[in-house]
Amino acid sequence: MSLRHVYAVTLKEIRHILRDKATFFLVVFTPTLLLLLLAYAVTADITHVPISVLDMDHSPTSRAFIEQITLGDDLELISHVNNIKAIEDQLLKGSIKAAVILSPSFERGLYAMRGAGVQILVDGTEPQSGGFAVDKIALRSDEFISKLLVKQFAAQGMNIENLLPIDVRTQTWYNPNLKASVDIIPGLLSIVLALPGMSVALTLAREREHGTLEQLMASPVGKSELLLGKMIPYILSGLINIPLTTAIALYWFGVPFNGNFGLFVLLSSIFFFANLSMGVLIGVFIHSQAAALALSLLLVLFPGFFLTGIFFPIAAMPPIVRMEALALPGTHYAIITRASFVTGAGIDVLWLYGMALLLMGIAFTGIAAYSFKKKLA
Amino acid sequence: MEYIIQTTSLTRKYGQLIAVDALDLAIRPGEIYGLVGADGAGKTTTLRILAGVLTITDGEAWIAGERLATNAEKIKSNIGYMAQQFSLYGDLSVSENLAFFADIYDVWGVEREERTRYLLEFAQLTRFHNRRAQHLSGGMQKKLALASTLIHQPDILLLDEPTTGVDPVSRREFWEILTELHLGGTTIVISTPYMDEAERCNRVALLHNGRLIRSDKPRDIQSSVEGDVIRLTPENWQYAQQQLKQIPGVLEVQTYGNRLHVLLSKGEGNLSYLESELDRRAIQFSGLERTPMRMEEAFISIVSKLEK
Repeated sequence: MSLRHVYAVTLKEIRHILRDKATFFLVVFTPTLLLLLLAYAVTADITHVPISVLDMDHSPTSRAFIEQITLGDDLELISHVNNIKAIEDQLLKGSIKAAVILSPSFERGLYAMRGAGVQILVDGTEPQSGGFAVDKIALRSDEFISKLLVKQFAAQGMNIENLLPIDVRTQTWYNPNLKASVDIIPGLLSIVLALPGMSVALTLAREREHGTLEQLMASPVGKSELLLGKMIPYILSGLINIPLTTAIALYWFGVPFNGNFGLFVLLSSIFFFANLSMGVLIGVFIHSQAAALALSLLLVLFPGFFLTGIFFPIAAMPPIVRMEALALPGTHYAIITRASFVTGAGIDVLWLYGMALLLMGIAFTGIAAYSFKKKLA
Repeated sequence: MEYIIQTTSLTRKYGQLIAVDALDLAIRPGEIYGLVGADGAGKTTTLRILAGVLTITDGEAWIAGERLATNAEKIKSNIGYMAQQFSLYGDLSVSENLAFFADIYDVWGVEREERTRYLLEFAQLTRFHNRRAQHLSGGMQKKLALASTLIHQPDILLLDEPTTGVDPVSRREFWEILTELHLGGTTIVISTPYMDEAERCNRVALLHNGRLIRSDKPRDIQSSVEGDVIRLTPENWQYAQQQLKQIPGVLEVQTYGNRLHVLLSKGEGNLSYLESELDRRAIQFSGLERTPMRMEEAFISIVSKLEK
């Protein structure tokens, strides 16, 4: 292999990128823009779910209960209503997702230990926010009861806090507030960083369509020299994208970066190599730009969202799908990005994924170089 | 080495279609060898095979002593190939295009500088060395493409219709460059649809439906075609053309502006025979005279005989 040849192809490709505004934009800015766009769409933590209350008890206890329920910013009490009909209207209009109805005997029932009547009506058309509301209301009710019990027993001179048989104290590591964005943004990073690289599949198809490939085929330039030369500019542009997208994640979305940045950059370059080798493989087999583009997006975007474990845990996939997922560079890179940002795992953990990516890259490039013939037909 | 390029029963099929059919070519070092034929005759396929960018279906080809089927990569550094479609990088400048080809053909150092300077001068592109290739005129683009294929001083040049779509002045300049290369000893294989260009070759191969019809000096091909060419300027061009075709012995009627060239099968007294036939059919005309057979008439005569 002649490095001069690789360099010549690389230089030429960089010029193509720099001189075509659309390509330049695609390669340098889309990851950042897409990250901004997608992050807002998918990380929105559920807050301010509108609910209303029908309090038929009107007692101090029922008021305290309602207050307890709407303590956080997750549920928002938008109105007190006087009858069931009003709740029905609100649910139909979609102005509330759930309603809490307190029976007229709420306080009496509670103190008499007969069970206090609380009914929750939920809009099931949006299971996520509906379920969320139910969970929160149930949680707050428990808190309310515990507090009440502790207070009651304390009044009688007893401390029941020591009586609870199991003292469960949950500690969430790495992402103490379980904020979705902390988990999802590094995952998204693995998708958006993969996208510009897919245009490498296009460059081969473009040369084929323009007839310049014929000229290259007639020249002594080697197949692997040509393919590597085409990959390198996109590895470089990927490396430009890393600080850009990382900065957005850190300073815009407040995601922590707990890992080693140097290691992250190194592993990212290996991922770019693996990802681009897939693009090159597409370019070798798919001869038109349009088809190459469609296939690249199908291979990066859809599996990116559905198979790499960003939104749907890999552990929950059936074995065959899990195998498929592991055959995609994006899956391994999603683990690397999340580890680098959230858990701060080091080389001792991540080397395996880096190695997997490296092997994929070598294998895909090898197959591409082997299958690519310097012949038109 | 008597022949620098030699093919035996060279055949290329695209599915059922036979693009090149058992072609036997023998090209001598330093020749300008023309491939002549109608569209679809197999010119481009032949050149692509010789350039090593198409696989051979059957038969053999040797270039500079190397077997093409197995040693194509070895031969490539010794060939300059210019595809029919303009295939330089439009978004790269003239110099950048040349530099790219210098890189991939391993031309370095002083040789590279001198070669680049020489070729820019040679192709009259020095003034435009910073201009993007896509902003050059068609003729300049062709000259740049030629310069790029010459950067490594190949012994063999394969040119596929290099002057198609180029204005006459650029065409003449292009041929001056080729002549200079020819004098320097480069073997040039060039396909062309233009018969005046065919006449400039040392030898030409007439291709028809993928087969080699003849391979000879242009002059020998012309003189071998039996028949006379008589030209005239008719009054009623359309009527004359229609009537002439029905005269026994007329092989072909060709139009040159308002003149007609009539190709007659060989015979004594053709001129007076035609004159009497014209009179009999009441065709008004002027300027009836014998004219030398040109490549174009020869080609058409040969091809039309084949098609009959």
